[in-house]
Amino acid sequence: MSTPDEPQIPHKELGHIPGAEPSSRMDVWWWLVALVVGITALLLFAWPDPFMNIFKFVQDGIVITITVTLVSFLLVLVVGMVGGLGRLSTNRAVHIISTLYVELVRGVPLLVQLIIWYFAVPVMLQYLGKAWAIPALEGFQADPVVMAIIGLVFCYGAYMSEIYRAGIQSIPKGQMEAARSLGMTYFQSMRHVVLPQAVRVILPPIGNEFIALLKDSSLVSVVAVADLTRRGREYASIHFDPIEVWMLVALLYLIMTLFSARVVNWIEKKTKFER
Amino acid sequence: MAEPIISIRGVHKYFGRVHALRGLDLDIDRGEVVVIVGPSGSGKSTLLRCINRLETYDKGKIVVDDIPLDSARNINAVRREVGMVFQSFNLFSHLTVLDNLMLAQRVVRKRPPAEARQTALELLEKVGIPDKSDAKPAQLSGGQQQRVAIARALAMNPKVMLFDEPTSALDPEMIKEVLEVMLALAAEGMTMAVVSHEMGFTRAAAKRVIFMDDGQIIEQAPPDVLFNSPHHERTRQFLGKILSH
Repeated sequence: MSTPDEPQIPHKELGHIPGAEPSSRMDVWWWLVALVVGITALLLFAWPDPFMNIFKFVQDGIVITITVTLVSFLLVLVVGMVGGLGRLSTNRAVHIISTLYVELVRGVPLLVQLIIWYFAVPVMLQYLGKAWAIPALEGFQADPVVMAIIGLVFCYGAYMSEIYRAGIQSIPKGQMEAARSLGMTYFQSMRHVVLPQAVRVILPPIGNEFIALLKDSSLVSVVAVADLTRRGREYASIHFDPIEVWMLVALLYLIMTLFSARVVNWIEKKTKFER
Repeated sequence: MAEPIISIRGVHKYFGRVHALRGLDLDIDRGEVVVIVGPSGSGKSTLLRCINRLETYDKGKIVVDDIPLDSARNINAVRREVGMVFQSFNLFSHLTVLDNLMLAQRVVRKRPPAEARQTALELLEKVGIPDKSDAKPAQLSGGQQQRVAIARALAMNPKVMLFDEPTSALDPEMIKEVLEVMLALAAEGMTMAVVSHEMGFTRAAAKRVIFMDDGQIIEQAPPDVLFNSPHHERTRQFLGKILSH
């Protein structure tokens, strides 16, 4: 219900505030995506040998890269929320455990962590299985994709925890107090009042994390996952044409990251007015 | 005489080394309107916030409507019956006015949406802003926001309403519209504990004024008695400061 003489939500007025208008500039950057797609298509169709051959060879790697990235990211969103809430917990044990997790994990390079998950953890489990006579553990065989996803989630979850923590802390304390004073539990208040507001604040850094994760997923090529990077390396080592292979691989990554950046940007713009 | 709805016994509160509440005793009867005054830092807001346990206390006992504030379960039970209005309104800024009024009804009272909506619309009517139900809090004036905040608390059908300096953040011309809502509420027999220095409201609605200083209740009396012939020198000094203009 609104009275006609009173201005409703703000599109018109906000239009005069620099930076607040629904920008047409966001479309401008779509042509960059189009350009990179165009160049890639040109290479593929104008010089099918070697580019189309390379593409056909690496395309299952693209699927793996996208799958690993998406699955990891969804899990990172959950782990980050748990970690972020843990960092803010008044329960000492929970606070200390989540702080240790964040501080320790952020201090070890992702590549080293991935290697530990794939090469060290399975051996450790087998050893424990032998020591405690648990046959299921003794015969443990690591699936490269599963271990890679665990490694990515474990590492990125720590970074995401800090993003959630900062986002939740940016919401005025009075919001939580008002919710609690109405009889809502801590988790109801978080779910209905604080997190919906925090998510808007942390959307840009979350988007950045997604793109960083997409790029860092190339590291899983070291631990036996046949992603885009690894398939590229395999092709290059067979055919000895590193220039063409890595040019195309880089272009394919660029298409994915630039496209993601546009999507993130679009979501940000969309939620901007709903403050 | 009926049992008091709020009973506070020997409550102590420390903020680090600061002894904010020094062994407070206070009873508030059903339907009573109590106004708490005192200099800043005297512990009046802290006392109010202890009643619905937004602030923990270190010693003593508080019982609200026969429920002792001693377990998480009881605390949530008390909060369902005690509405609170804040100095800074604290409306949920991501929700519309209507959703602000409906959220706790649905989540806490488990009311069906249609019933929650009906209650919300009636209360908006009551606080005089029926036409703002679809607005976001940021589009309202301070006075309107505070009236929505009162309606939001009332939507839970509380037995007690706590007001923590409800008009301190408002421009003078908006104070009146909020006080009118509060006066109407007092006239309906709502039990109210109000931290405020609004003397007009206090004279008109309060059954008892409590003067606090340094974490203690210095004296309490009906408004005309306390304002005209305070017993203690400290009360006199304080009243001199706030009544002189």
